[in-house]
Amino acid sequence: MSALLGPLDQDGRVPAPQQTRIAAFLMSAHGAQARQLAATLPHHLLQPWQLELHAQYCREMEILSLLTRATSWVPDPALAFMIWRWEAAWMPRPMQGAADYFHGLLVDMAALGHAIHAGIRPAALLPEGVAAMDPFVLAMRRIEFESGRLLQAQILFLKGPQLVDVRDQVSAAVERRHAQVRELWTLMLDGLNVGAE
Amino acid sequence: MPWLERNSRRIHYELTGPGDGPACVLVNGLTQYVKLWMPFRDGLVAKGFRVASYDMLGQGQSDKPRLFIDQADQVAVLGDLIDELGPGPIFVGGISFGGVIALRYAIEHPNKIAGLVPMSSFAEIPPQLMRLGNAMRTALILGGTTYLQDLLFPMNFSNAWLEAKSDLIGLATHRGWLINDVYALQNLMESFLEFEPLTPQLSLIKVPTMIMTGEYDFLTPRTLQDSLRIHIPDSALVIIPRAYHAFTLERAELAAYVMARFAEDVIAGRWHGKKTIWVAPEEVGGELTPFPAGFDHLRSIPVRLETPERAVLSEPASP
Repeated sequence: MSALLGPLDQDGRVPAPQQTRIAAFLMSAHGAQARQLAATLPHHLLQPWQLELHAQYCREMEILSLLTRATSWVPDPALAFMIWRWEAAWMPRPMQGAADYFHGLLVDMAALGHAIHAGIRPAALLPEGVAAMDPFVLAMRRIEFESGRLLQAQILFLKGPQLVDVRDQVSAAVERRHAQVRELWTLMLDGLNVGAE
Repeated sequence: MPWLERNSRRIHYELTGPGDGPACVLVNGLTQYVKLWMPFRDGLVAKGFRVASYDMLGQGQSDKPRLFIDQADQVAVLGDLIDELGPGPIFVGGISFGGVIALRYAIEHPNKIAGLVPMSSFAEIPPQLMRLGNAMRTALILGGTTYLQDLLFPMNFSNAWLEAKSDLIGLATHRGWLINDVYALQNLMESFLEFEPLTPQLSLIKVPTMIMTGEYDFLTPRTLQDSLRIHIPDSALVIIPRAYHAFTLERAELAAYVMARFAEDVIAGRWHGKKTIWVAPEEVGGELTPFPAGFDHLRSIPVRLETPERAVLSEPASP
């Protein structure tokens, strides 16, 4: 098992089946984020933090659009089962110990966002010699870079003063989501004969 | 690959050198990882020392807590590693951020180590360092690990080194990007948000202490290390010539030679810090010389020029 994507084709591109599987996973994860953000956003923005949510929503949509257009898609029958499993994993699981159900949901949403933005590093899988200007390669680098910025909203919320009293529960919720995302990401890569470590 | 465990977190460390030698523990700077100690470590091993280096929580191959890293946990991890080494003299050297952790350990455990070597380190965060730290945190958030590294390279190294190693810098940046995670570096930086100055506690450090500083370090300038010298009772300040912040990389052999000499002097009972100030030799094997009497060691002037040409070159281009 290789630690990186490939072997590359003669033009230095990642094989289309690998592109398809990785892009499908990222679209499922970032799509879940976009859906949750859309459901949280009011029609009229009234609070400063809602502007940040709106920005997050737009960036998630950009990632989805980018993946749709930059990936060399090929048919992959296994995706049907995989996507079902991924989507089930992203279902909200309100954090226990929150002030109320809604806050528990918000923490879980942020925890999942933290895990997706911090835990998935697709650009780290690109091997030496990859075609630097290939759209899929550029998309992977852009998604990883943007994830570092998107992460800031989750960090601000999860480390914020409003959650100090439940810090241990918040940390546990974040760890749980990280473990879940990591397991699914690793399993998907195993299927491509790529080791995440 | 050896691991330590603390509160279900795994700490990656490496142990090199003769099993029965006196030990040195090396504590990383912010973006450092174990492999970056190699030339420094090899210099100590060649002198007969057993050397332990490790990735702190949030660094390299060690576990990376997702939201919070407490500096007290970093001190506890260092303590675990020191305990792992068993009896015999143990010297602790830490650079920059790692120097702070080493200082805190020595304050809390005055009798557990034989000697302390803070390098490019600090016990306070004055406005310049605070603003630099904030700017680096913003750089990390907006530009990622690579942008932070781009900022750090010219602070850490000389022009000569950057020129000579230009072909390796891209590779080093890539490795640093691979092994570091934005959220983990951010957690490490934010562990300073509630930092309380250590200066009032420095007098509790009872062990021989050699403070090392790069001649041209402007990230953590000499005043910060001099404050350590003034407040740590059995200390001396050693200036590494022509060095910037990361002299354990740029002048690794020389820095290791100076640390080894310190440890040998302590073990032989020859060390007398007396809050003195020294200049390290230019090369390995040379002698340390006392800072010239009658000159202010915190100023950059006056400087005795060697040749008239140098004097001409050093004149400002315009009044």
